[in-house]
Amino acid sequence: MLINRRRILHMSVAAAAASLAGPGLLRAQGSDRPIRIALAATSPRAIDPIFSTLGADNWVNLQVYEHLVSPPNGRFATQDDEYRPMLAESWTKSDDARTWTFKLRRDVAFHGGHGTLTPEDVVFTFERAMREGIATASYANVRGVAASGPDEVTFTLNGPDPFFLGGVISIPSSLIVCKSAVEEKGENFGKEPVGTGPYAVERMSSSGVNTLRFDGYWGEPPKTARIDFLYTSDTTSRTLSLMSGDVDMIEAVRAPGWVQQIRQQNDALIVDQTQPGSFNTLFFNLTKAPFDNPLVRKAVATAIDSAVVAQALAPFGAQTWTLSPPDYPSGWAAEDLPEDLRYDYDPDRARELLAEAGHGNGLNFTASISQREDYRSIMLILQELMRPAGINMNLNIMDHAAFHGANRQDANSLVLYSQSLPPVPLEYMSRYLSSAAVVKSDGTGGDNFSHYGIAMPGVDDRIEAMRQATTVEEYSSIGREIEKKVQEDLPLMGVGNLGYAIVRNPAVDIGYQVESGYARWRLDLAQRA
Amino acid sequence: MTRYILTRLLDAVPTMLLVLTLVFLAMRVLPGDPALAALGDGAQPEAIAQFRERFGLNDPLWLQYLHFMRDMLTFDFGASLMSGERVAQLLVSNLGYTVELTIAAVLLGIMGGIPLGVMAALNRNRAPDAGFRVFSLLGYAIPDFYLGAVLLIVFSLSLGWFPISGAGDGFADRMHHLVLPALTLALLKVAFLGRLTRTALLEVLGRDFVRTARAKGARENRVIYRHALRNALLPLSTGLGLSILSTLSGSVAVELVFNRPGLGKLLITAITERDYPIVQAGVVVFAAAVVVVNLLMELVYVIIDPRIRVQ
Repeated sequence: MLINRRRILHMSVAAAAASLAGPGLLRAQGSDRPIRIALAATSPRAIDPIFSTLGADNWVNLQVYEHLVSPPNGRFATQDDEYRPMLAESWTKSDDARTWTFKLRRDVAFHGGHGTLTPEDVVFTFERAMREGIATASYANVRGVAASGPDEVTFTLNGPDPFFLGGVISIPSSLIVCKSAVEEKGENFGKEPVGTGPYAVERMSSSGVNTLRFDGYWGEPPKTARIDFLYTSDTTSRTLSLMSGDVDMIEAVRAPGWVQQIRQQNDALIVDQTQPGSFNTLFFNLTKAPFDNPLVRKAVATAIDSAVVAQALAPFGAQTWTLSPPDYPSGWAAEDLPEDLRYDYDPDRARELLAEAGHGNGLNFTASISQREDYRSIMLILQELMRPAGINMNLNIMDHAAFHGANRQDANSLVLYSQSLPPVPLEYMSRYLSSAAVVKSDGTGGDNFSHYGIAMPGVDDRIEAMRQATTVEEYSSIGREIEKKVQEDLPLMGVGNLGYAIVRNPAVDIGYQVESGYARWRLDLAQRA
Repeated sequence: MTRYILTRLLDAVPTMLLVLTLVFLAMRVLPGDPALAALGDGAQPEAIAQFRERFGLNDPLWLQYLHFMRDMLTFDFGASLMSGERVAQLLVSNLGYTVELTIAAVLLGIMGGIPLGVMAALNRNRAPDAGFRVFSLLGYAIPDFYLGAVLLIVFSLSLGWFPISGAGDGFADRMHHLVLPALTLALLKVAFLGRLTRTALLEVLGRDFVRTARAKGARENRVIYRHALRNALLPLSTGLGLSILSTLSGSVAVELVFNRPGLGKLLITAITERDYPIVQAGVVVFAAAVVVVNLLMELVYVIIDPRIRVQ
């Protein structure tokens, strides 16, 4: 029997079943205890919005800093009127969606006596994010940001952006920082962060971050005095910590059967999950045989039963029919798609397509995949699903960094790529479909692993038209056209989404229902029942 | 003696230089880009290019190697590519946890292994010996990450006697956090040192000087512990050296299971993230530990066995 870490985890949790279902969780009660959350990471890197790439750091960022506006708690906003005032109390946009003006809230204090929020802090934040850090490219459409009044900032864009609130204003790197604190602390700012959020960082160590309620918070005071973020990369350790009551919430392991296993021990555990979470997209490398042949791509699409993929990954999995999920502005529901573009599961049809493509005796190819649970699980499921159609996919399982390194050097023929993406189609369409983002063998290219738009005509013109759209309706309509065209050409296909989840002790109430959004959420309403 | 130590340390220099070169090359040959690891899977080309430029990753390999050797020889380990923290500071803050774990595990191994080995040797082919052999087989066979998980379930989760994770603050709390990880690592040591003691003691017990001691009417305890065991210490000390080194390198799984800070966990994470400066400096620390422990063991031989003289 193969013994791996996941099996050990399952065996361990199962072994613990009899003795500990209740008492450990009861230990989590008591109103003076901090709420403790164990996240899948080794140690904090930087609590600084423009440098944070670690999911766990971004959890802390969201408690420490704030955006100008915010979507409703627990979900993405898909319409402008769903955004709530945060550090901006109101905003307006020009008719051409190129000028956005935000009126700032008054008397918003920064942590640690660093004064109150001014337009200069907002201007500084955006200019810093546009100049340095990990997401400078996200600001390509921002021409400038300037203080336009004592409590007002105005953004001027190069082109219209009807999704500006959900895009630039809401991305992780545009959380507002304190100008004077960044200048004072220099490189240490990521270790001694200063924001306006409900929690301030009290202590950072190699094993986590302790945060403390900020008494000068402008809004409703946070319900719980302390929240501790523990960086616990080992899944066994995280699971046992939850079961013993040592922590109140843990980041879930997105592998088949994991939630069912821990729910067998305690069915009261709550799973807070964002959908769609990560988009799992299968890129066909159009420059390499056999995927340069559209019939082969269609055969693969027809051989994959996406409902089975979603079911196998329950409760995290969800079915998609195009690149985006149906509830995204450019997504398609199955019933709206023409039948020939749905690629309904049909192994016999897949065999016929393969025969037409000259692979009557079946198809053999090798694809590389990461050893990380979610990637590996999905690819193993696809491998099994394709076999009855005569498609034999050999998997070369690599470590995670090596896998992404190989993809970025265009060394893979079939790339599974998992990304958590907001409902701003232009963002991921530019990355996945634009010829400017094509992958390059020297590693300097982008995420267009298919070579779409280079190896065959793509959708560059439509992406450009989308950039010029001034209304949400026009923008979404072009987006849907693009998705339909992609279904026809099939340079890539969605194989389903994988929700991000936190498993929570029922003794803790976070104050709202988590439905969608990025892989983190605010905890200012969290409290012990 | 001082000259001998200096000579041995000088002998280690080519070894260390070779280790440095190999680790430098190994990290560069490994597929995977530190920029991608640092910036995330979805990092954009502009950010990746900026990162590579900032950390000199676009320089030719020979130039990177020269910079690396210069930095190592001046004990400038640089900064982590991921967090920007000074590597020397990271090593220092993690080294203490690994050292305390190693010391605790080795002490437990000695305290358990030697008496059990003596007991097994004195009861050769009888029930206690058979019991010990089964125990030692288990000790070798059970992987430490599995044993750690079992100990966590029984003593932390079920009985609530020990903390689930972390390393604790303050002396008492740290010791409390240390018990289960040290026990996990100690099991293999008890098995290993016990078997070594049993074998060495059985060999010595048949020697003339032991018979002479018994013939002179010395008490059995004195014969065993004063005469026989003392002469069995030489192979035991070799085993102890190996045991210390294996604990240093084997602490990785235990540090991960118990979510303890430490050098092993730091190094494994750094390898996964292609954080070159940490891996390079960490390997240097491990290599230095091997040199120092080997040297100490050689000195211990001299103390244990007066027939061995430093040339």
